[in-house]
Amino acid sequence: MAKEPVAVTIDRVTRIYKNVKGRADVVAVDDASFVVKPGELVTLLGPSGCGKTTTLRMIAGFDLPTKGTIRIGGEDVSSLPPNKRDTATVFQSYGLFPHMNVAENVGYGLRIRKVARAEIDERVKRALALTGLADYAERSPGRLSGGQQQRVALSRSLVVEPGVLLLDEPLSNLDALLREQMRVEIRRIQKSLGITAIYVTHDRVEAMSLSDRVIVMKDGRIRQIGSPSGIYERPDTVFVAGFVGKVAFFPVEVASTDGETCACTLRGKTVQAGSRAPDVARGKPAVLMARPESLRIGAPDEGVVDGTVRQNVYLGSSIESFVETEYGELLVQIDDPAGKRIAAEGDRVSVSFNEAQVRVLPASAE
Amino acid sequence: MFTKDKLIKFFLALAVFAAVDGWIFTTMQSSVRASAATVRKNALVLLAKSAPSDPGLLEDWLSTVGTSLPGGAAVYLTPSIDDPEVYVPLASNETVLKLWLDVAATEDAKKGLESAYYFEDYASAIKAQLNGTPVRLFYAPITDDAQAELLGIAVFMAPETADANVERLLLGFALGAFVLFASLSGVSRFVRDPVVGFSVLVLSALAIVFIIFPLAEAFRLSFLFEGKPSLTVWAESLSGAHLQALWGSIRLGIWTASTSTIVGFLFAFVIYRTSARSKKFLSAIAQLPVISPPFSLTLSIILLAGNNGLITRQLLGMQNFSIYGLGGLVFVQTIGMFPIAFLTLAGVLQGLDATLEEAALDLNAGRWQVFRTVTLPLAVPGLLSAWLLVFTNSLADFANPLLLAGNYRVLSVEAYIQVTGRNDLGGGAALSLLLLLPTLTAFFIQRNWVSKRSFITVTGKPNLKLVELAAPAVRMTLTAAVWFIVAFVLSLYGTILAGCFVKNWGIDYSFTLSNIGEALSRGKEAIRSTLSLAAMATPVAGLIAMASAMIFVRKTFAGKRVLEAVMMMPFAVPGTLLGIAYILAFNKAPFLLVGTGAIIVISYIVRELPVGIEGGVASLRQIDPSIEEAARDLGADEGLVFRTIVLPLVRPAFISSMSYTFVRSMTAVSAVIFLISARWYHMTVLIYNFSENLRFGLASVLATTLIIIVMAAFGIMRLLVRDTGAFDKTISR
Repeated sequence: MAKEPVAVTIDRVTRIYKNVKGRADVVAVDDASFVVKPGELVTLLGPSGCGKTTTLRMIAGFDLPTKGTIRIGGEDVSSLPPNKRDTATVFQSYGLFPHMNVAENVGYGLRIRKVARAEIDERVKRALALTGLADYAERSPGRLSGGQQQRVALSRSLVVEPGVLLLDEPLSNLDALLREQMRVEIRRIQKSLGITAIYVTHDRVEAMSLSDRVIVMKDGRIRQIGSPSGIYERPDTVFVAGFVGKVAFFPVEVASTDGETCACTLRGKTVQAGSRAPDVARGKPAVLMARPESLRIGAPDEGVVDGTVRQNVYLGSSIESFVETEYGELLVQIDDPAGKRIAAEGDRVSVSFNEAQVRVLPASAE
Repeated sequence: MFTKDKLIKFFLALAVFAAVDGWIFTTMQSSVRASAATVRKNALVLLAKSAPSDPGLLEDWLSTVGTSLPGGAAVYLTPSIDDPEVYVPLASNETVLKLWLDVAATEDAKKGLESAYYFEDYASAIKAQLNGTPVRLFYAPITDDAQAELLGIAVFMAPETADANVERLLLGFALGAFVLFASLSGVSRFVRDPVVGFSVLVLSALAIVFIIFPLAEAFRLSFLFEGKPSLTVWAESLSGAHLQALWGSIRLGIWTASTSTIVGFLFAFVIYRTSARSKKFLSAIAQLPVISPPFSLTLSIILLAGNNGLITRQLLGMQNFSIYGLGGLVFVQTIGMFPIAFLTLAGVLQGLDATLEEAALDLNAGRWQVFRTVTLPLAVPGLLSAWLLVFTNSLADFANPLLLAGNYRVLSVEAYIQVTGRNDLGGGAALSLLLLLPTLTAFFIQRNWVSKRSFITVTGKPNLKLVELAAPAVRMTLTAAVWFIVAFVLSLYGTILAGCFVKNWGIDYSFTLSNIGEALSRGKEAIRSTLSLAAMATPVAGLIAMASAMIFVRKTFAGKRVLEAVMMMPFAVPGTLLGIAYILAFNKAPFLLVGTGAIIVISYIVRELPVGIEGGVASLRQIDPSIEEAARDLGADEGLVFRTIVLPLVRPAFISSMSYTFVRSMTAVSAVIFLISARWYHMTVLIYNFSENLRFGLASVLATTLIIIVMAAFGIMRLLVRDTGAFDKTISR
């Protein structure tokens, strides 16, 4: 099922929903631009209402941009209807045809394309084998489990060999365990076919674990584009830092910036932060962010700030310790806890961090 | 969607089309005018030849001109003996003479007379008015046989109307072509889904031409009297006798609605709230009368309790009993309409969570208390809804009162008599519009108020365990009452069946088979046309209903709400009004449809569409839109999605809307009675005619035939859709 993968270009796309009856217009997507490279899996990540699904629907053709252009493989498809676009979507609710069995569902797109019957059978068989559904061809979709339905939807989209595979929160209706399995499987299939894919989710773990790159959106605007590790370790805003992982913030004053790093003052002490966001400058309000795994617990007065352990949550491979400080409740992750001395709930402690691992961001809530 | 470039191109195309269209129109117009002028000239020359040479016969001849030239007239000018250039005019009446004297002094007239003097015809280009109709003057010389001497000059005043009509039609076509072109090219240029755009266009055209236009015509014509704007029609319609009929309709509606709701609730309660047996059978019988043809129940009542009724006369020997009137009507309508109440209330009682009753019992309420404080209050919106539905139906009912009203007056029959008996279409329109008032009110109260106050809660798993609320003695009484009614309903059908085989009901009860042969041979044509008209309407109505449902549920476009409301309107419009509106609107160009089968088919489609659309909408709402999007995404265009995905998915609704249309068309009467013609007759009207002529045997045979056809249609549908829910939906109105 290999076909030359194509690129998708979103160029300054805006989608405004006119709201009649005198209410304000809703800007669902605001001047979004990005490029998905051939064979790449890019995730649109953001809270609900951030415009990620609207963006995907505009790529599929279910919705039209108010402004801007969408190109698939160099062709401007901005005003083409969905059936004229080289995309195939896996829907959140699967959208399986209830009046057809699994094989008929998967073969639908090929029948529409007037592919010869023998070839349809062959390709459907291969697609079902790829998703591990070879034995279910004759079943009606209503008699399949959620995970199986998900696989049928995936096979149905893959069998037509689309230039771009679009996935709209495909795993949100599955239970946690199945979600993890399917996540791995989708990534495996996408990689083995080398197909360009755009994936929409609000689940940061999902986004991190299967994407080549992640696009974080909020309120219709793209906030940051980067690799999973880039987004996690080097967010540019407080919002992105908070949305892609647990994080503690300390208000700081920027003393000086120098290339990628920056020196700042926290409680009178100078901290040489390992990295900084581009927008950080001397005199502008800033915060220092630290991930739970870069925070440490020590004896009182030894660290950056003192506090009291409120609660320890045992997770096996780690312990999450919630420490109440003047900066609010800080989450400290203690890895590999077996044999370590852990401060008990109620103990007075101090929290410190590894300067190389912290990052300074502009302080605005955005 | 709208770019400057596209708009400019669009208007350019429009301009080009308008120019071509206008050019074609003007050429055709002038050629029509020319040919009409020639035709008229030849006719007038011929007419002039018929002028008598004997001056004594001239007056007779002049009066005959009026008949060969409808709306026109002629003046005969005899040259005076002293001066051959001075003429003595002779006309058949004063108006004509006056018109001539007005014209005579003009240059044009002089030219005409001069031409005639030289034995030449002259057609004047100037229009004059004769009795309000535009006429043109035509001067024809009358000579002796040798064509040597001028005996006189005939001045014809020929009306324009004939070719003016043709011209108006031409203009209509030209404008229509332009509108069609503009809308088609507009849609294909600016709408992203042309299929949807065209469908909306077609639906809007349908709604405007076949719903709004006829109703507006009926409304407009009710304000005309002898062609002039006037309130005469309404003044007469609101006079004592007709108001009495309005009050009669409302009174009948209130009675029927009340008794039907009680009987319907009784059935629903026994079936869904007690442990009575044979519930399926009871439920089936309780739905039977809805699909029975009009006149059949009335017929059976007349056979049993009419002037020569089996029970009243033969068995009880009553002399002064009359079934005709309010009492009999309430009785027959209740039998015919309690199923509507039953189906509504069955839904309500089924939807009531028995946990509520259990909770009340658990809190130590007695069974009667539970019924009074929990079950009944929760059923109140349903009861109101059922009452209003039956009320609307009773008011719109036409068949039962037509046969059974006697001296009691109801509006629907009054409107019918106004139209057929007194040939007063405007009056009939006014009366049926009067009927619209209470039905629309009830309809909107039911729709927008009562139905929103429903207590049916679909939360979690409904408790299917039944709480027996009726004490054994009460249950026995209620069940007995239900069975009594069932037995009665069945006996009514039995009576119709028996009627087929009785020689002369009321007089001679001997067995015969001759009715069957006679009825079927006399009704053959009617059966054929009834079946073929219904068969034509069925698939069209089904498809339009599903397509509209799809558009209403899935698409957004300007004016959707309005279109939806208009399409649903025929639901609340009494058939009598629709029938009258159709003959008023479609008996003239450009929609000359009265007398054709097409108008009957269209009336079926328009009337039964709302139920089909509702079914389609309800079933589409259950379907995840991403199913259709998936198909789109996989390469299917809008039409293919409709055919391969939507239609199969809404199949139950599709089939039930078709069978509903078929059955309702087979049993139609109130609208169709105005639209039938000798060529396209309807069985129900024939049943009525037979009953009116006391040929009860023949009427029974036809009614039975109709019942068999309807039952067969439902049987086929049940085979196609093995889901009884669809069956219920189909017959509840």
